[in-house]
Amino acid sequence: MIAKERLVKIVGKHVSDDPAVLEEYSRDISFVHPIKPTYVVYPASMAEVKEIVKLANETQTPLVPVSSGPPHFRGDTVPGTGGAIIVNMSRMKKIINVDRPRRVAMVEPGVTFGELVAAATREGIRLNMPLLPRKTKTVVGSLLEREPVVMPKYQWDISDPVACLEVVFGNGEDFRTGQAAGPGTVEEQWAVGGVQKAPYGPGTASWHRLIQGSQGTIGIVTWASMRCELLPSLEEPFFVGGSELAPILDLTAWLIRLRMVNECFILNNVALAAICAQKWPKDYASLKQSLPPWVLFYNVAGYEYFPEERVKSYIKDITAINQRLGLDAVQALSTVSAIDFLRMVQKPCDDPYWKLRYKGAFEDVLFLTINDKIESQIAAMQEVATRAGYPTTDMGIYIQPIVQGTGLHCEFNLFYDPDDPVEKNCVKALADAAVKELLARGAFFSRPYGDNAALILNRDAATVNMLKRLKNIFDPKYIMNPGKVCF
Amino acid sequence: MAILSRDVYKEFEDVVGPENITDDPALMPSYFNTEHAAIVLPGSTKEVQALVKLCNKHKLRFRAICTGWTGMFPRGIVLFDLRRMNRIIEINEKNMYAVVEPYVISAELQAECMKRGLNFCIKGAGSNCTALLRGHGHMDQTTSGDDRNHLAIEWVTPEGEIVRTGSLGSSDEWFCGDGPGPSLRAILTSAVPPGVTPGVFTKAAIKLYHWPGPTKFPVVGHSPRYTLSHIPPNMMARYYSFPSVEKMWQAEIRIGEAEIAYELMGFNAAMVAANITTCNEEDEAMFKRLSREVQGPGFFIIIAGNSADDFAYKKKVLENIVAEAGGKSLKTVEDPEIEGILLCQCIRISASIRETFRPGGAFNSIPIMGQRDLTIKWAIGAGEAKKPLIEKGLIVDDGGAFFGWGVEHGHLGKTEIFCKYDPSNTEAKKAVEQWQKEQTARAFKERYFALTMGDQTEIGPALSNYHIWWQKTVKAIDPNSVTTESGPLV
Repeated sequence: MIAKERLVKIVGKHVSDDPAVLEEYSRDISFVHPIKPTYVVYPASMAEVKEIVKLANETQTPLVPVSSGPPHFRGDTVPGTGGAIIVNMSRMKKIINVDRPRRVAMVEPGVTFGELVAAATREGIRLNMPLLPRKTKTVVGSLLEREPVVMPKYQWDISDPVACLEVVFGNGEDFRTGQAAGPGTVEEQWAVGGVQKAPYGPGTASWHRLIQGSQGTIGIVTWASMRCELLPSLEEPFFVGGSELAPILDLTAWLIRLRMVNECFILNNVALAAICAQKWPKDYASLKQSLPPWVLFYNVAGYEYFPEERVKSYIKDITAINQRLGLDAVQALSTVSAIDFLRMVQKPCDDPYWKLRYKGAFEDVLFLTINDKIESQIAAMQEVATRAGYPTTDMGIYIQPIVQGTGLHCEFNLFYDPDDPVEKNCVKALADAAVKELLARGAFFSRPYGDNAALILNRDAATVNMLKRLKNIFDPKYIMNPGKVCF
Repeated sequence: MAILSRDVYKEFEDVVGPENITDDPALMPSYFNTEHAAIVLPGSTKEVQALVKLCNKHKLRFRAICTGWTGMFPRGIVLFDLRRMNRIIEINEKNMYAVVEPYVISAELQAECMKRGLNFCIKGAGSNCTALLRGHGHMDQTTSGDDRNHLAIEWVTPEGEIVRTGSLGSSDEWFCGDGPGPSLRAILTSAVPPGVTPGVFTKAAIKLYHWPGPTKFPVVGHSPRYTLSHIPPNMMARYYSFPSVEKMWQAEIRIGEAEIAYELMGFNAAMVAANITTCNEEDEAMFKRLSREVQGPGFFIIIAGNSADDFAYKKKVLENIVAEAGGKSLKTVEDPEIEGILLCQCIRISASIRETFRPGGAFNSIPIMGQRDLTIKWAIGAGEAKKPLIEKGLIVDDGGAFFGWGVEHGHLGKTEIFCKYDPSNTEAKKAVEQWQKEQTARAFKERYFALTMGDQTEIGPALSNYHIWWQKTVKAIDPNSVTTESGPLV
């Protein structure tokens, strides 16, 4: 174990071995087995991160990078092995750059969505955000997890909106991806009018793709830049409700294909009620009851030039599609107004986080899929839930089209009472069974978290073999978050 | 004399059959003038895999080619010519992707896609190049470019393992190339040296995009003079010139932000002339005519509406933006015959071919991907530096121009500048190479960008030592060093 003084030498007083703090990092809301770290360190610069990684290499000490504040949900920030140090990046919270003309922002890893949304709005741009991140969620944490974003039209590549990253690899060397790599320092690039926007390179590799999705197993990111979108000057959001998912999926596919909508996703009545209910539990129950089983939300927007004409023209074209599919777009469903809902999803979630409101805890089963398969996968999940004794009427479902319509993120939210061991065990068994069943039905678990990661990765030994070869290059001593993904 | 023994040759022959292998010296000149150990034509992934394993067994180096333009190949390698792998495996309309083998050319896939109201990124290399190619093209504004259109990829590694990335490896679907966990797309990148991924890409899924135009262009005329019998509904092609580069850029960025362009190409007058003429004599005359018509730098643009209202809206916004920037429409391009030629050239064919090779017979280019405004700033100087060469008659007179375009509605971009010259003129060749060297050195010194095709010992350290990481990556992928793809970088 590293002597505390060695860490103090790097980060000063910003190191903790307080048992209460260590206990906090030893577990999260997921079912991952708790393991207590030995220290939590809070670096304030890339230089300090490098020193920490160097020390970890010398002493073969596992490092677990964490940027977001609690609560954590997926087990990726719980040490996978004993003797680990949590590298908490929350002191690095500079918004380095927000550039309206180039539509790009650059932040350190401790910056939360709330902080960046405010800064970007002041400049007239915004982020393509995930759906209602919790208040403590950092932008960099979300980008690195490849979380789905609510405006699929602007997600050209699954790595979007990541632009460039600065990273300290597991072997202690630093690296800048994409346009940021050089020539020159970032400051020298700014001086000549450059920004850190193009994601590919240096060379023909796209290094950022190796860092995303790695759950901190390749290196520690010390800043990220990201593409941003313009703030619309006019927005008209709509709901389309229905009892059948098929026509709603059809409509969604066309809206994205024709690029007529910005925010665009589908929720079932459980998830929408859990997000929108004001008074618990009364409002939730009545709202859930009053909503149709499936709700598509979309937003038609206009920008600088003739926004009314653009919105009018799109609404006319969308109405024609709706009529063909027998669907109706409305501006309110039950007590939920589309414009209020839009404003809600353009910010982080108010406390408490929406998935915690119903019962205090949840487990998500999330995967990627395509239009052709999703209905049978939902049916399979409902069967598994029924078999496990979990009421399907309590299961939230969120369907997010990704990458301009080439796929769908599907997420089942299994809410449970953490103080009820029977319910907790039921959800754990259900989540495990669901992963197995959905894998068999073609679900792609692109973000393998927790105990099911091995089950998921064992299906693709060739990829795992190649990933391990790469891991050996960037983190040869396996100090970065050991036990996660396939490492 | 044959490089392979008859026994070894027979092993390769057993995989592909006698009709799909040769070491006949008479055929070598048609394969890049190199003496290859053998040329083999695999017909499937399994055959590629078997061939790669044989190369490992006999410690023979190999390289795969498909529709390749050019290449440098060391003597004695086994060359895989992938021309038999030419099947379109799937066009998934609802999920908007196509799965193709390496020898499916862009023109074929595009024709099939257009029947379904879809399109994809046709690279500047031309519509007769493989649809799998990573790169940029004229429709990047709406169809993206570079490495951003690949989804799942099937890859035979240098050791002969088959890696199926993303959703393909786990669930047998092609829609996603990333994960589980970190993405192997990071290293599955390119077919163009340096920095080429070792191994063979045997299939890949590529993103498709909505195509608002007709299922088939109403082409009339005879080769080489084709045009359209009429301009398809809700489509328009125009060329606008501007009083200055700054004004042009102002219009370009606003068009990107307004999301109205189907295609926007920052052509100069010389490139418009090249694309609407059929020979150099016509080209020269047309360039003179257009040079008198334009007021300064400009761009070619295609507007395409999903409906009449959508088209009317986009056209109105375009006219406003152009007027604000003091732009002027080129009357020549408003002629429906010329407009039709340009629609064909820029959507179906890829305009780059006429622009590049025809005027001088050869060209040297400096292409830069990334931030458009930054690279324009550099290209102004590079264009000025061309002028003495034009005055001396060493390169084709294009007014010292550069070109480029916005990608993904202006989020990214590409800028390129080239000198067209007669390759048999040694003085011209030398002068162009010197210009290229000086201008890339200036870009590097002044921190605009670094081309990675130069001396790695200078460039690599300035770019986060990426060359060392790439060398390590190649070594990890190809421990037996049986591939040649890594080029001069490694």
